[in-house]
Amino acid sequence: MTTEPALIVENLSLALGRANLVDGVGFSVAPGEVLALVGESGCGKSVTAQAIMRLLAPVIRQTGGRVLLAGQDITALPERAMRALRGQAMSMIFQEPQAALDPLATVGTHIAEALRRPLRDVRDQVLQMLAEVGISDPARRIDQYPFELSGGMCQRVMIACALISRPAVLLADEPTTALDVTIQAQILDLLRRLAAERRTAVVLITHDMGVVADIADRVAVMYAGRIAETGPTAQIFARPRHPYTSLLLASIPRLTDAPKSALAVIEGRVPTPAEFGPGCRFASRCPLADDTCRAATPPLRDMGDGRLSACFHAEQLP
Amino acid sequence: MTAPVLEVTDLAVHFPGRTGAPVRAVDGVSFAVAPGETLGLVGESGCGKSTVSNAVVGLVPPTRGSLRVMGTEMAGATRATKHEIRARVQMVFQDPVTSLNPRMSVGAAVGEPLLVRGLASGAALRARVDELLEEVGLRPEHAQRYPHQFSGGQRQRIVIARALALRPDLLVCDEPVSALDVSVRAQILNLLVELQQRRGMASLFVSHDLAVVRHVCDRVAVMYLGRLVELAPRDALFAAPRHPYTRALLAAVPEPDPVAQRAKPRVPLAGEIPSPSNPPPGCTFHTRCPFATERCRQEVPSLRPLGESMVACHHAETLA
Ligand SMILES: Nc1ncnc2c1ncn2[C@@H]1O[C@H](COP(=O)(O)OP(=O)(O)OP(=O)(O)O)[C@@H](O)[C@H]1O
Ligand code: SF4
Ligand code: SF4
Ligand SMILES: [Mg+2]
Repeated sequence: MTTEPALIVENLSLALGRANLVDGVGFSVAPGEVLALVGESGCGKSVTAQAIMRLLAPVIRQTGGRVLLAGQDITALPERAMRALRGQAMSMIFQEPQAALDPLATVGTHIAEALRRPLRDVRDQVLQMLAEVGISDPARRIDQYPFELSGGMCQRVMIACALISRPAVLLADEPTTALDVTIQAQILDLLRRLAAERRTAVVLITHDMGVVADIADRVAVMYAGRIAETGPTAQIFARPRHPYTSLLLASIPRLTDAPKSALAVIEGRVPTPAEFGPGCRFASRCPLADDTCRAATPPLRDMGDGRLSACFHAEQLP
Repeated sequence: MTAPVLEVTDLAVHFPGRTGAPVRAVDGVSFAVAPGETLGLVGESGCGKSTVSNAVVGLVPPTRGSLRVMGTEMAGATRATKHEIRARVQMVFQDPVTSLNPRMSVGAAVGEPLLVRGLASGAALRARVDELLEEVGLRPEHAQRYPHQFSGGQRQRIVIARALALRPDLLVCDEPVSALDVSVRAQILNLLVELQQRRGMASLFVSHDLAVVRHVCDRVAVMYLGRLVELAPRDALFAAPRHPYTRALLAAVPEPDPVAQRAKPRVPLAGEIPSPSNPPPGCTFHTRCPFATERCRQEVPSLRPLGESMVACHHAETLA
């Protein structure tokens, strides 16, 4: 890719008290590209997105790393300047659209606010945006309140709010997790189309490998606060270069495998930040773990095919 | 044919609605679960899956219809009969955290149903609890610990051990793996399949996840707006879905395989699920169905046999 990345995250580290929540996470996203950040609950996906937006809860500190937006380092920007960027140069959407919308504000007011203009001045633009995100009958919906909309429609409104100012970057944190599959399919199609048309760089946070397979150009797999593996979607699924990715993919029941066959199991559970040791954080569950793994942190290594893997023994995988 | 463990006939559950019209959460559902069989109940949020399973275990009263467990009618049964039958049907819920009393040790929680019914006490009870813990992949020494000392997957194992204590004839599972992390989901699914095979126990398995249902069930019932739209053996349902809604649902499942997923024809289902307090007339799916005709808007399709399947669609033959 020759275009300059819209977003670069370098070596991001976050801490909660002494616990190290996120450790040296980095990735970049090009305009029009969808990067999926996948991992299980508690692996640090959401706090990473919040750190990029600088919307971290006060108890969480950034202990290292930089965030570059269109080449500009925004890590040390004062809060005033960040406020000017949020919702303008970069936007975020969440899992529970109903909770993110103000129950006392109409659909139109929400979207106009994203443009920072009174609704009457931008009504036509808002109506057009509602149509673009697939809301039927925009002229009626524009004056409705969130409680009058279904979850799927609320998510469309959130997307309209997030994209109307044409941000360079959209952070989408589990945007379809609370939705039904038929509605999820509609929203994923919408995100894909808008990202392509508007050249928005999208960071899609999800725990669902099906969603990743559907929409992502590239994937960053996170485990316990670190990147386990990153690379193009097709390669990650076809031949994982990290034992965690490989077991995760084997553990998912699929519409194509033999019913009732034993699924691959990842023994044990994800360690909590208090349990992180000096070595690889997957070592307690990894069938390939040895003393090397328990002694030192495996660095992200270039696998020579556009992929990085944080595993000492990546070459041993089939 | 052997007598079914569970027989549900024309079950309806209506809740009082906010606006006056009742919420028709379940509106005329019939099915049976044979001994040793796992029947899956799938559908999207609010279609009434949980209400069906709650009615089966007696958590909500039916508005209409019959529920027979091992041949005994539950509607209008005496308290004593209900109490006896309830022991034959046990339930596992989605959230293992709220399903366990935090102040009760694991051993006490698992043994409680036996103790309460006077079936075991003292050393015999402890031995039974140890057996149950081992059966679900935990260790006897775990009996002394408390729920907060366990991960989500282990807590779901504890919940399952407790549900098995009375050797139920029917296990009702409502989204048993939905709250679990992807990496521990497989552990619990493997356990459920093992238990089916080892105990030959019948179960009703409620889930919104079609791949999970396909993995553990023998037959599958698809619900839409409080009614069954299709009921078929697993392989028939997944290989040749008959109802337009089943097809749309299957097409919408994103498969964890980028090559297959991206090659799939995209036929997104338009629109949203109507409100169960104001269901559309005729076939309730007609507002979203690409094949709807005038007849569909007027006449309710009944669930009728077609090949190996049962399907509630006027035009199922012509769609095949
Ligand atoms: N106690 C209740 N009072 C009023 N309405 C209820 C009650 N319980 C359920 N409902 C309504 O009944 C309908 C069916 O709900 P149910 O919980 O059975 O759906 P479900 O298929 O299990 O959905 P999900 O996938 O979200 O768990 C919904 O419209 C729901 O809001
Ligand atoms: S570094 Fe070692 S423990 Fe970590 S994933 Fe690789 S083989 Fe497993
Ligand atoms: S009865 Fe008509 S509306 Fe209903 S599913 Fe069949 S074709 Fe569609
Ligand atoms: Mg439910």
